Amino acid sequence: MQKRFNWPLWTGCVLVTLLLLLGITGPYLAPYDLDFQEKLSSTVVNGKTVITYPPLPPSAEHLLGTDKWGYDLLTLLLHGAPYTVFVTLAIAFIRVFIGTIMGLYIGIQEKTQTWWLSVENAWSYMPIFIPVYFLLAGVTINSELPTSSLVALFIGVVAILGTPSVTASIRQKTEQIKETQYVLAATSLGAGREQIIFRHILPQLKEQIVIILVTEIIAIMTLMGLLGMFDLFVGGTYMTTDPVIYKSITNEWAGLLGSYRSFVYGNAIWIFLSPLVAFVVAVGSFTLLAKGLRDQFEQSYNRTPFI
Amino acid sequence: MAYVKQIIGIFLLVIVICGGPLMLTTVKEEVVFAPEEVVTRAIYLVQQIAGGSLGTYYLGDYERSIAEDIVPFAISTFELLFSSVVIAVLAGLLFGMFLQRFWIVRKFQRLLDLVSTIPDFILIFLSILAAVGFYKVTSIRIITLSPTSDAANKWFPIVLLSIGPTIFLLKVISLKYVQIGGEDYIKTALAKGMGIWHVLTHHVYKNIKPFLLADLKKTIAITVANLFVVEYLLNVVGLTRFIFSKSSMYQFNAAVMGLMGIILLSILVYLLIRAILYLFERILVYK
Repeated sequence: MQKRFNWPLWTGCVLVTLLLLLGITGPYLAPYDLDFQEKLSSTVVNGKTVITYPPLPPSAEHLLGTDKWGYDLLTLLLHGAPYTVFVTLAIAFIRVFIGTIMGLYIGIQEKTQTWWLSVENAWSYMPIFIPVYFLLAGVTINSELPTSSLVALFIGVVAILGTPSVTASIRQKTEQIKETQYVLAATSLGAGREQIIFRHILPQLKEQIVIILVTEIIAIMTLMGLLGMFDLFVGGTYMTTDPVIYKSITNEWAGLLGSYRSFVYGNAIWIFLSPLVAFVVAVGSFTLLAKGLRDQFEQSYNRTPFI
Repeated sequence: MAYVKQIIGIFLLVIVICGGPLMLTTVKEEVVFAPEEVVTRAIYLVQQIAGGSLGTYYLGDYERSIAEDIVPFAISTFELLFSSVVIAVLAGLLFGMFLQRFWIVRKFQRLLDLVSTIPDFILIFLSILAAVGFYKVTSIRIITLSPTSDAANKWFPIVLLSIGPTIFLLKVISLKYVQIGGEDYIKTALAKGMGIWHVLTHHVYKNIKPFLLADLKKTIAITVANLFVVEYLLNVVGLTRFIFSKSSMYQFNAAVMGLMGIILLSILVYLLIRAILYLFERILVYK
């Protein structure tokens, strides 16, 4: 049978590469400075004075328009891109690294580790954004900490709280592979625990780990978006008290989406749509990649149902 | 006794989680970890409960009794949660299993796969946009953002809330359907000339059921996560109002009660769905 061209995989790869490039070069590509603000201005059109004031709709000067305070949206998005891309990647890598090692060592044990099973069980029913929100709410809003340590704190908390789910899937796979004949053969030849883990089990898990990494990236982006809905932004929230306005310090995409969410009801809809489209494209490209990878790996096991 | 222990365990966990903003704070440029604050607050809370009241909380500028508000709030949250999970389970079983063999349903699933690329909470947002646009064009109102609105508009939040769990459950069930459909015992059953409905209920459903039950808790967890967004964005007055208040500061007592209520409600919803599935089996599978 001729293999079908894997569209999701290739589109996903291209989009993710573009996203990574944007993450690196974003701030340098930005058309305006980060603190550039469009002010009230008046121009004379046909002898009449026309006053223009922000929010300005998308135009040649401002490709995505400006927000209510006159900041250029494209500039904000480009400056936020590194945070969106690399914070997510960092969390995902930490989760997968710790989760894989824990999963392998817990899975290889002779006895099932009941304490861990209960942790896993309890944790899988808790929507992860609740503990993350409560842990960070006291720290992130109007914090005097520098942005870098807030970002580091965010990475640490989200990575650790999300590890159990990764550990769970690696543990289950390890327990399956542990029972196979070749592991038994290796054991009877005198292989030690590390030998079995790294020579015999880990190579079998490679594909699985790649898929888990990509799905974790999607989950983390979604989590950041959800937190943004409740005014908790990566790298700090700046809150003014009268009127109460929350602003993202890093201009990270999920944060922009969260802080501009009230514009969904107004006429200046582009303020909401620009970060929305950026965020959806970012999540979508990783979703495509995950789907493509899954299709690629599962091709050989595919069965057609009889009914 | 074991259940009492579990409830106490959940209560302690809720206190630890809700204590987060009190435990971790910043003073100047340092992160301060102060668990003792949570302990004193928790003791105060337990004293209040022992005294027969649940304490008070601020809704805007008004101080209100939690005990008075928790019942109506819980009822509206329960309605949302229960109906959404029922819709998800029904749609999952119907389209994922019983109707999966029709090509149009499979096409519909492909479409849903595409939709599921977008995170749930964004779908909720887009639905609000669509509803507002729909009103502008046809002047038919399907959305109200006023919390004191008539009950006729309850179905919109229910539908929005059911999007996430339905997509998840449908994916799980149809994946299992494809796997189980390829098993030899299905082939045997078909070769013996058994009717398609019989094979579906007696062979496929029974083998899907363990996976369905295993993922039911996860489904409810997804629904609860979306519940926060739906109640927040659509101004539904429910238990999440105790936790995320738009106009007042974070309140420990109310947050503990709200979160505890949501957890207990999700356990209730889980048990009710189990009961419904049991009835379904008794009535339709075994006759």
